[in-house]
Amino acid sequence: MSKRLFLMLSVLFMAGCGEQSWQTTDISGAMPELKFDLTDENGRTVSADDYRGKPTLLFFGFTNCPDVCPTTLAQLASASQQLDEELREDLQVLFVSVDPERDSPQTLRRYTDVFGPQFIGLTGDKAALDALTRRYSTTYSYGEEDQSGNYDVSHSGAVFVFNRHGDVRLLIRATDPMDAVAADLRRLFKDGA
Amino acid sequence: MGLINLRLLCGLLLLILSAAAAAADFKVTDTRLRLLPGDLPAAGYFKLSNISGGPVSLVGAESPAFGHITMHKSIQDNGVARMEPVPRLEVAPGTSVEFSPGGYHLMLMKRQSPIDLGDEVTVTLVFADGQRFPIIFEAVSPASL
Repeated sequence: MSKRLFLMLSVLFMAGCGEQSWQTTDISGAMPELKFDLTDENGRTVSADDYRGKPTLLFFGFTNCPDVCPTTLAQLASASQQLDEELREDLQVLFVSVDPERDSPQTLRRYTDVFGPQFIGLTGDKAALDALTRRYSTTYSYGEEDQSGNYDVSHSGAVFVFNRHGDVRLLIRATDPMDAVAADLRRLFKDGA
Repeated sequence: MGLINLRLLCGLLLLILSAAAAAADFKVTDTRLRLLPGDLPAAGYFKLSNISGGPVSLVGAESPAFGHITMHKSIQDNGVARMEPVPRLEVAPGTSVEFSPGGYHLMLMKRQSPIDLGDEVTVTLVFADGQRFPIIFEAVSPASL
């Protein structure tokens, strides 16, 4: 009896391991594969194909953003610190500025370097940014300028996660705990999916 | 000479008294200034506790280190992040308000001189009743949470 119970529990436990669910939001198949034509932080024209082969995180923002953008990037940096060095180096975070007026490649490079070598700044003209944000059902807009010429930019608060083939996998929200993000990133590497 | 000394003494006494009054009204903890590279705006975070008997209203902040400081709140609306200006923030007696990542924050713009990580920066909180409360921030990396 107890042997049977043990067996049942073992099977259940193993099934649980196999069916381990994502801890952030699974959006596999809900959005198209990664595709864009932008300019990178070195001023080069790049497309999504240039970033295939590595699990990729995509975040929209702007460098004059004092709170949400650095907080999100710091959280991603911190979650990636929980990964083994090999995995961490294989990960790439694409920070797409939706404020090309103020974010030159040079500004972007200096900004992303603060968070780590796997952080890459990208931007583009309105048509390219519109196409990319629309592709992932998000939006951006500019607030009014204050007396010193500063303006706010609204942007997606979530991070889109793609596997190494460019297939969309997850949506990481600001409220997701860091351990959950790290666990999902680890699984993303393990699955190779 | 005696008169000058008396004046000096009065001035000192006033200074001590006002400092004591200010110290009795607020407590500020968890201060940090997250510094972005170049002249990108920094974010100021802290926890302000109102330990006075009455309500207080925070209306802004000033610092010789920055040309322009505003109070903001980050908002996530339908998955879209944006900032809202906060012209006035009431803090009821016995309560506290947290300026922390993803919520209320000071946005500090137009650096007046270069600031390095680890530097201390004094920022004075300004209240509706005219009270001013200086706090000292340490400049930290934006990669720190």
